[in-house]
Amino acid sequence: MKLNRPSPAPHSETIVALIDVVFFLLVFFMLIGRMDATAPFEVMPPLAESGADMPAGGATLSIGASGELALDGAPLPGTAALDAALTRRLAEDPGLRLRVNAHRDAELRHVLPLVGAAEAMGVRDVVLVVTPGPPG
Amino acid sequence: MAGLTLKRPTRPRALISLVPMIDVMLILLVFFMVTSTYLNLDMIPAVRQAEAPAPTAASGEGSGGTVMIRLGADGVPVLRGRAMPGADLTAVLAEVLAQQPLTQVIVLPSGAATTQALVSVMDAAAGAGALRLRVIRLEARP
Repeated sequence: MKLNRPSPAPHSETIVALIDVVFFLLVFFMLIGRMDATAPFEVMPPLAESGADMPAGGATLSIGASGELALDGAPLPGTAALDAALTRRLAEDPGLRLRVNAHRDAELRHVLPLVGAAEAMGVRDVVLVVTPGPPG
Repeated sequence: MAGLTLKRPTRPRALISLVPMIDVMLILLVFFMVTSTYLNLDMIPAVRQAEAPAPTAASGEGSGGTVMIRLGADGVPVLRGRAMPGADLTAVLAEVLAQQPLTQVIVLPSGAATTQALVSVMDAAAGAGALRLRVIRLEARP
């Protein structure tokens, strides 16, 4: 009598569990993370308790502690380049939202004129990025 | 005598292999883990022309008083000639706003003050219940 050994069971059962775990991790990181372009310099937003939830979309203007500028992660050599970039973005999207992500130690002479200039250019929604927490 | 052969039916193989899908999902997982930022950020509106009514000349006088906070280069707010660091400013503003809820709070910051100092003053005004807050700045004459 000849008995054939059964072929080894396929590994699909264990692979399905692995797929589940990886899929949950994938969805978790997609929901928790934010796909923002990071500035090429360090930016620590100021602390505030009265902030509201950050809206999505728009352009992010990063301002470093010494006044360095970057728009959506791309460094800008000066305010003239910022004006040109904002004009181009406004032509594409007139309802552009501008998020000003200024370092908490940045002097206001580097920040407020840019907010005023953006308002004068026609940006109707400018928000200041803050970190939730009691001011130090 | 012929031997008895027992053959179990082999299971049909899966038509689509799952291994490439796992590879793609792992790559996507690593991509999102590396490229995403996980900072908890909030925002304070700085300009919102779509909702705010156009300022009129009489709006600051007819519907309540005006309180001006000067923010020095050292980051200390000064209200009515008195330096008010920390919670003092919130308490004084709350007293003023309790009498006139529509008081307009105007912040005049120095250009050398830090962004944190301005945000702290805005935070104090919001904590005191200010409904009308405006930040103004002096511009050099062209």
